[in-house]
Amino acid sequence: MSGTGHPDRFSRALKSVVLLLLWGMGCGGILPVQAQSSYEAVETVSPRVVKIFGAGGLKQLYSYSTGFLVSAEGHIATVWSHVLDGDTVSVVLSDGRRYEGKVLGAEPQLDLAVLKIEAEGLPHFDLSDASGAGPGTRVLAFSNMFKVALGDEQVSVLHGVIAAKTTLSARRGAFEAPYHGPVYIVDAITNNPGSGGGVLTTWDGRLIGMIGKELRNAQTNTWVNYVIPIQELRGAIDEIVSGKLTPGRKTNDEAGTSDEPPERYRTLDFGLVMMPDVVARTPAFINRVVPHSAAAEAGLLPNDLVLFVGDELVQSVRGCREEFGRLESGGNLRLVVRRGDRLITVELPVPHKDDEP
Amino acid sequence: MRNDCSELGRIGSPGILRGLICPWLCLMGAMLAPLLATAKERPLEGLEEQAIKEAVALAEASLVRIETVGGLEQASQILFGTGPTSGVVVGADGYIISSSFNFASKPASILVTLADERRFPARQIAHDKQRMLTLLKIDVDGLTPAVPTPREAVQVGAWAIALGRTYDLATPNVSVGIVSALNRVWGKAIQTDAKLSPVNYGGPLVDIEGRVMGINVPLSPQAAGETAGVEWYDGGIGFAIPLADVYGVLDRLKEGKDLLPGLMGVTFQQGPMGRRDELLLDRVRVNSPAEKAGLKAGDQIVEADGAPVSRMSQLRHVLGRKYAGESLRLAVQRAGDRLTMDLVLADELTPYESAFLGILPQREGADPKESGIPVRYVFPDSPAGKAGVQAGDRILKLNDATLENAKQLSDLVGRLKPGDLAALTWKHEAETASAEVKLSAIPNDVPSQFPAPVLRSPEAAVTAKTGRFTEMLAAHDREFWMYVPEKYNPAIPQGLVVWIHPEGDTMEAAVYQAWKSLCDRRGLILLGPKAEKVSGWTPLEAEYVKDCVAWARENYNVAADRIAVHSYSSGGPFGWHLAFKHREIFRGVAMASHPLMGFVPENDPEFRQQFYLAAGEDDPLFPAVKLSVEMLRKAKFPVAFTPLEKLGHKYPEEKTLDEIARWFDLLDRI
Repeated sequence: MSGTGHPDRFSRALKSVVLLLLWGMGCGGILPVQAQSSYEAVETVSPRVVKIFGAGGLKQLYSYSTGFLVSAEGHIATVWSHVLDGDTVSVVLSDGRRYEGKVLGAEPQLDLAVLKIEAEGLPHFDLSDASGAGPGTRVLAFSNMFKVALGDEQVSVLHGVIAAKTTLSARRGAFEAPYHGPVYIVDAITNNPGSGGGVLTTWDGRLIGMIGKELRNAQTNTWVNYVIPIQELRGAIDEIVSGKLTPGRKTNDEAGTSDEPPERYRTLDFGLVMMPDVVARTPAFINRVVPHSAAAEAGLLPNDLVLFVGDELVQSVRGCREEFGRLESGGNLRLVVRRGDRLITVELPVPHKDDEP
Repeated sequence: MRNDCSELGRIGSPGILRGLICPWLCLMGAMLAPLLATAKERPLEGLEEQAIKEAVALAEASLVRIETVGGLEQASQILFGTGPTSGVVVGADGYIISSSFNFASKPASILVTLADERRFPARQIAHDKQRMLTLLKIDVDGLTPAVPTPREAVQVGAWAIALGRTYDLATPNVSVGIVSALNRVWGKAIQTDAKLSPVNYGGPLVDIEGRVMGINVPLSPQAAGETAGVEWYDGGIGFAIPLADVYGVLDRLKEGKDLLPGLMGVTFQQGPMGRRDELLLDRVRVNSPAEKAGLKAGDQIVEADGAPVSRMSQLRHVLGRKYAGESLRLAVQRAGDRLTMDLVLADELTPYESAFLGILPQREGADPKESGIPVRYVFPDSPAGKAGVQAGDRILKLNDATLENAKQLSDLVGRLKPGDLAALTWKHEAETASAEVKLSAIPNDVPSQFPAPVLRSPEAAVTAKTGRFTEMLAAHDREFWMYVPEKYNPAIPQGLVVWIHPEGDTMEAAVYQAWKSLCDRRGLILLGPKAEKVSGWTPLEAEYVKDCVAWARENYNVAADRIAVHSYSSGGPFGWHLAFKHREIFRGVAMASHPLMGFVPENDPEFRQQFYLAAGEDDPLFPAVKLSVEMLRKAKFPVAFTPLEKLGHKYPEEKTLDEIARWFDLLDRI
């Protein structure tokens, strides 16, 4: 059974132990362990999670969500959503006590809001003790999904593992989320109606992040269960609690998420004439190279297939055009093209545009 | 150390985990003394998490990212994502296996990226169409091939970790579950509740020791194809093809040949309620692996490759692991004997096609004292015509078989293929002649003219009703109408035209007007059943029509080999259904202005059928009718097709109907 008898297996085992060591120092071994089992973790975490009910559903929109206590004095972090559109919301603690909650402040770019209820001595999370996690970390998700919990009932707990760490990006509309930044992806179906504002913890109860809204990944056409790391939220929560952020401030992020991609450069600026964009995913083949152009100097040829513009994979002529449109003036542009069975990397100088400031 | 480990085993972790953790902890004990204390104190859940992460670290060396460029947006209702997918290294020299799902969009270019960020263009080498895998090749050496879990070591309940390299190149994405079942989807797949979706299709399903149990694929027991089963993504039902099986066929895939499911070429008898408790063969296809191995209708399959089988699902489990070209050993029961046969499975079943001699037999009136089969008509340029057979001759022998009647000759020729050689002996006046003829295929076209049959008037008074009349079947309490030629002679077998009217209109008067003289001339009886609701037929009414035909056969001399369906427009769906459901009765379909509905049936030597299709060139259904003709001809049926110039969606005119009547008259051609 032991793998040590096999030399190849042994070397792989060694590698693994080194990895394990790194991982252990990174998150596991050093932080204090709060609970000895997931049973204990559920007991510790559940009283710190609250149920939030809004003023009433509008047009099929559900009017409930989840939040978590971040101070003994009744500060509650939750997801910024239409549930908070009314002046006040109803907050129900795990023991059934019901309070009127006021929106103290919000940071829509983080999809975050902080509520305040008039209470004292409440159990709460210590945000400075939040944990990081990597793929494979076993996690528990706490939320009032589907409004299953009422009154003194505790919120629902799901289990799973961290599937991946990634970034929700505004680019190319891959994720149509209001929040753009680092997230954890969970392999359990954590993001359901009403789950937003719930918490993700490790199996032993250390806080990892806040469960986001329901979201569909346009790249893989699947639902994405994402969690915003506490590290991303902590600063804003502290600011709102201490009154440095304006309550209910709506940012001008509409300007930042414009759907129209910029058109700063065209392929012709580099001497490339691409194949006409005839079908939905016309591959980005070069049709013609203008003599003496930058592309010609770099040795690009007709029928080369453009695969990468900078670091971005382009899957079609349209994608290629969009990437060129996003180029910044100056510096070098790196292109990777496929010629036959070879990949060829070239660099082209990006010309200065007259209308640049 | 050892004590800790055995205790772990006792409190319920799988045995595999104990096996894994012991060596790991021993290693750690030797090398990492400071950490040991922590590890010792960690509770079970933490140890399990640690073991999962170690397994990921071991297996990810063989995990690559795959990206595709170009290709379709959509196929069969599935919208393809454009994100990256995953693959697993199966050869140090650049062979990578992945799920065919990832290439269902038929991409123009495929890129493989290794964990160390090196990137290569990839070629598709071959597809395993049984297990829905694709083998890729990149030009690189020194990769780390995945270590397979031995088949017997994959156990239900064991940890199953699904990996992909889609979110992040450096770190695999992980989903954890257990092995839910083995040998799923007809013996092909491991089932898991780890969340499988496009983010890990093509990636490995890893065991707790970091070995690869299987390759994640979308599969469905009910459907086939690259995208079958993808609707179950993240649903707690996922499938992986055992890597041990993949390595088993890797050399064949490397040769660049697609692996296809293996076919036997049999159908099974259906028990009550559609159950198949016994594997009794219903039909054995001509030229199929089953026929070549000597299987016969009525045989009961009791064993396949050494495993006892008594149900369809058991046999499919054995076949599910087999490819075309592989052999299968069957044991069958036949009349109390147990026989063993070896089949070589085929990738495709060649359709049956009847041979053709080129004569119409004379149906009556020949001198019964003379031997052989009298010839009524010889098709020009047919094998018989080329050999010099003439109308009025008598066919005596085919390949040494002395001929008693036309049906015997028809069956003999039907057992031969176009292109086969046959020795033909016939009598011309007083002379006996013989020749070797090369049989042809049955021609599609209806000869523009050939003599109508000789129809003598009856010698005595006929008691059966003639002319146009209406009858009622006691069992059905429903009318049907008939036309029997006035000169009907019970001594001469008649053809039967079963008219299936379109929805909403029995067309009784019009069809009677158009067909009366044709029936008189060609010796045909017209039978017009009526749908229970004139607005349309239901499939269940096939029994009623069958009973109408039986009534006609009881009361008139109907030739069994010249009963066929004639229909038009919206009568089409029921007309086709009727003819295919009762192939033992109907020898063909003459269809006007309606395409074939549903699947194309298999041409069957036991129940040979022929078709006649006509449609106006201005009929919106014309292209569909034309396509039906192509599909039926591809299945090797004789199909006459008449495009009607300057005609829309209308019942054909006299000239075409005359051709249909001729077609009815040559249904018994040999």
